[in-house]
Amino acid sequence: MPSGTLLGQALISGVLAGGMYGLLALGLSLSWGLLRLVNLSHFALAFLAAYLTYELGTTYHVAPWWAAAMVVPVMLMIGLAQHWLFDRFKVNELASLLITFSFAVILEVAIQLYWTADYRRFETHYSTMSIKVGAFYIPVLELALCMVAGVLAWGTWLWLRKTYVGKALRAAAEDADIAAAYGVDHKKLAYLLSGMGAAYAAIAGTFIALIATLAPAQIWAWLGVVFAVVIIGRLGNPLGALLAGMLIGASESIAMAIFAPAWAPVVSFSVLIAILLWDPEWL
Amino acid sequence: MAVNAARDLPKAAAAAAIVALAFLPMAKMPAFYESFIYLIFFWVSLSTSWALLSGFAGYFSLGHAAFFGVGVYTTAALTTQFGVPFLVTVPIAALLAALLAAGIGAVVFRLRRLRGELFALLTLAVTFVIATIILNTPIDGGGGVFMSAVPLPALMSTPTGTIYILGFAMCVLTLATAWWVVHSRLGLGLFAIHDDEDVAEAKGVPTFRYKIAAFALSAAIAGAVGGIHAMYVGFITVAGTFELTVGLYVVLMSVLGGARHWLGPAIGATAITALLYAFISGGEAIMGRAIVGLILIAAILWLPDGVIPAFQAWLKRRRVAPVATRAEVAPVVPTTAPQISEHSILQVRGVTKRFGGLQALAGVDLDVHEGEIFGLVGPNGSGKTTLINVISGFYPLSSGTITLDGAEIGRDPAHEIARRGVARTYQIPRPFANMTVLDNVALCATFGGPVRSKAEIRDEARHWIGFTGLGGKEDVLPAGLNLHERKFLELARALAARPKLLLLDEVLSGLNPTEIDNAIRLVRAIRAQGATIVFVEHLMRAVVELSDRVAVLNEGKLFALGKPREVMRDPRVVSIYLGKAYAA
Amino acid sequence: MLLEARNLHIGYGDATAIWDVSLDVDAGEIVSVIGPNGAGKTTLINAMAGLLRCRKGELRFDGTDMTSVRAHGYCGHGIALVPEGRRLFAKMSVEENLELGCYLAAARVHRQQSLDRVYGLFPILREKRNQPAGELSGGQQQMVAIGRALMARPRIVLFDEPSLGLAPTIVDDMFDIIARVRQDGAAVLLVEQNVLKALDVADRAYVLEQGRIVSTGLPADLLQQPHIREAYLGV
Repeated sequence: MPSGTLLGQALISGVLAGGMYGLLALGLSLSWGLLRLVNLSHFALAFLAAYLTYELGTTYHVAPWWAAAMVVPVMLMIGLAQHWLFDRFKVNELASLLITFSFAVILEVAIQLYWTADYRRFETHYSTMSIKVGAFYIPVLELALCMVAGVLAWGTWLWLRKTYVGKALRAAAEDADIAAAYGVDHKKLAYLLSGMGAAYAAIAGTFIALIATLAPAQIWAWLGVVFAVVIIGRLGNPLGALLAGMLIGASESIAMAIFAPAWAPVVSFSVLIAILLWDPEWL
Repeated sequence: MAVNAARDLPKAAAAAAIVALAFLPMAKMPAFYESFIYLIFFWVSLSTSWALLSGFAGYFSLGHAAFFGVGVYTTAALTTQFGVPFLVTVPIAALLAALLAAGIGAVVFRLRRLRGELFALLTLAVTFVIATIILNTPIDGGGGVFMSAVPLPALMSTPTGTIYILGFAMCVLTLATAWWVVHSRLGLGLFAIHDDEDVAEAKGVPTFRYKIAAFALSAAIAGAVGGIHAMYVGFITVAGTFELTVGLYVVLMSVLGGARHWLGPAIGATAITALLYAFISGGEAIMGRAIVGLILIAAILWLPDGVIPAFQAWLKRRRVAPVATRAEVAPVVPTTAPQISEHSILQVRGVTKRFGGLQALAGVDLDVHEGEIFGLVGPNGSGKTTLINVISGFYPLSSGTITLDGAEIGRDPAHEIARRGVARTYQIPRPFANMTVLDNVALCATFGGPVRSKAEIRDEARHWIGFTGLGGKEDVLPAGLNLHERKFLELARALAARPKLLLLDEVLSGLNPTEIDNAIRLVRAIRAQGATIVFVEHLMRAVVELSDRVAVLNEGKLFALGKPREVMRDPRVVSIYLGKAYAA
Repeated sequence: MLLEARNLHIGYGDATAIWDVSLDVDAGEIVSVIGPNGAGKTTLINAMAGLLRCRKGELRFDGTDMTSVRAHGYCGHGIALVPEGRRLFAKMSVEENLELGCYLAAARVHRQQSLDRVYGLFPILREKRNQPAGELSGGQQQMVAIGRALMARPRIVLFDEPSLGLAPTIVDDMFDIIARVRQDGAAVLLVEQNVLKALDVADRAYVLEQGRIVSTGLPADLLQQPHIREAYLGV
């Protein structure tokens, strides 16, 4: 059994790593829960954003936050274009899953053609900075990521709960016809939400560039665990997504500290399977 | 003669292709080509096996890699750690994969909600869990498994030739299995599950068993394919075996070719593998992946059913459409007088049904006599359709008993009740959308009625199609029928099961007056064939005209029972329909 | 005329459910459409609310041709629907359901005033306003559905089977509310299988059978027709 300090540090790192799961899960959860579109290309968009941030930073020496400001509008446009396709062809859940998978493959190829399959690392002086609290170290970048994820999740949650547009989106997800009878133009709102999802992917991408090592195949690395997080956090619930992400991150990290690092994936999927079997109405 | 030639040509071509492919390794071609064709066999087998459950029954799995991977590691572990001969491990790999699938199915298929994308993600999750377990146990141990020391039986002169012939045998076996399933009872049931699982169950398809059978069969093939593939790969890693793209490629290949056709996945797999390989040999492997992605997006948007169905539809359009001989819907009216006995075929005792806080049936007692037409009426929400759903087994009882011909059926699964001779229709017709009229009716004859040969079942189905006035429409899909005809298709499907007891749920709603007269005549004709009929109906003219006795339900209880004219004049009955003042 | 339907044909897929129906509702009027189940009442009212397209015929509201208006545009013209089976947004709270009623800007500015009015009509809803609508009893859900329609400040309210599945005493309350709605200035088009109630509250009525209007007139006259007795009881 590892020491208390080690477990505590594992818990902190896990929660912080879970912030990334939550941030990635946010956009997926919104489009799946409220638009019934399963968007696998979300991960590819995030990585494209990460590579763009990396390129801007290393070649043109643009600071990460300025890079994010440039990348977000680009991803927004891509997200809207993709939604146009879904709208035009009245794509259902399963077809959206297959199409966005193909789209993700195409983006992966595009990334590989431009940046090659080599590992890339965007070193900034933030990379090694950390705050010491008691016996524990808190890396600055991960902390910033969690704060941004927290603000986005909380803000989106409030937006869905408190504004008319947010309520209209939730209503249309339950019964689009009746929402329309009260004036909700679901088509327009769906574009808005898809654009938001893509923008969230871009923000996640900026942090991926700063925190992770980039390689085209890494697009798929988080897919499984983030989907588990989306379901565990309940579809369409941004706060749930973030909390589930942190929960899974923490449990993985603790499992790694107690057993072996390689056991980590079992955690999220065991939780997911248990939830689906225990309460199939969970979604 | 010409017709025979056209029909036999594909068979002859297939036989020639099988022979040619089997003897290809003798031709001493470069190992490169043998490997390439082996890969086609590999993907054909894998995607076809996926389609057995996911394509035919519509349970999309993203976790096919799990069963494939169990096969790979079964062979890898048994050959390297226990020295089991390679060929012996392949059936064991199949068996283990099948057991895993059956185990998962036994849990998952009990839950009605776990369909569609939830099933897909659950299977994906299972894949990750299995991969992690293998990675962390001595099966793999994290370092991968080298197969180089495992002796390969010398079936052919070269190792690649041996792998080729094994892959080829597997591929032929898989396609034969898929063909057999499509043409068997199992396949018919799976297609029905795909279109509407609840109706399939109500028509006598043992849906739970069939899904498990298809899942196990699908996994067994994937396991065997994995066992062979272990030898091809040579060095096995968890990351390579349980790759996410394996599970997705089989889906995409099947969808591209047509996942509901036994040959569809093979077409898709061949096309995609060849395309990828063409780019690999041209040094543009990654461009190949992108092109495949584009093709798939285009295919899903413009050919959502896949290449084969699109091709079949094109062939059909090209053929000269036969002159539509629209048979008038006017059934034969038999002359025999109805025989009603005092024997009660159906006894309902103290039946209650709750949905959460709502008491839909609050203790109903009923006796239905053999040979009678029994009307069931009542205001909306009085529990009529719930009663039909409870008798036919769609809803489990909350309490009470239901006996059919003396046998308690209240707690049987719906398909068992259907086999005991209870058939039902749906208020809004629910035909199997992807089956022709003939197949729709034949399915109900197959699963509801006595065991007969295929030819007898076809004859029986044609008989009932003619009986309900749908003659000439046998090869039409339900979407090509109008509402009136779809209602009659509901009847033909129910009749084809030769029911003792027929439950009709609002067969007349939505019909125009002439159609109603036709339907009334038809119901009389059905009774004359010896069936007992319970029918729910709102159109009172028809209820009074048709029924021997009428029961009025109100708020989940039996409110009145008797001869139709007397019951409907009963002031109490009038009051629940029109309000008190009107009755006075 | 406020609402004018001329020779409407409506259907789903290839099945036509409404044949050649003409119907008027004047401002401040309560008009009932009665008929047995399966006659096409819900189809008719859904088309008037914009949920279904008309195949043929004219539909005008206050002079505007509605057949070219998209579904989400009907509410803005002053048409509000109380749908069959209530169709609340079950996971959302009672108050959120009501707020959806005043989604459009014109109604949104009167949110507080409208809420007070609805809570005045149905005090129980104020108590339950933070509860998910799906957890309410049938009668309370019907109140939410009516409240949601009133929040839109409509010029006509379309009621689809408001008595369906409710206990008799609650049915009486619902019809009192329908009368109140008219007193407050909106017209009402009511579709009901509870013949006596529907005729009792109405100024005029139509009888719909198998997708066609077979009779129309004053409630008192319709009540005398043996045809209605036959349609409902078969005797």
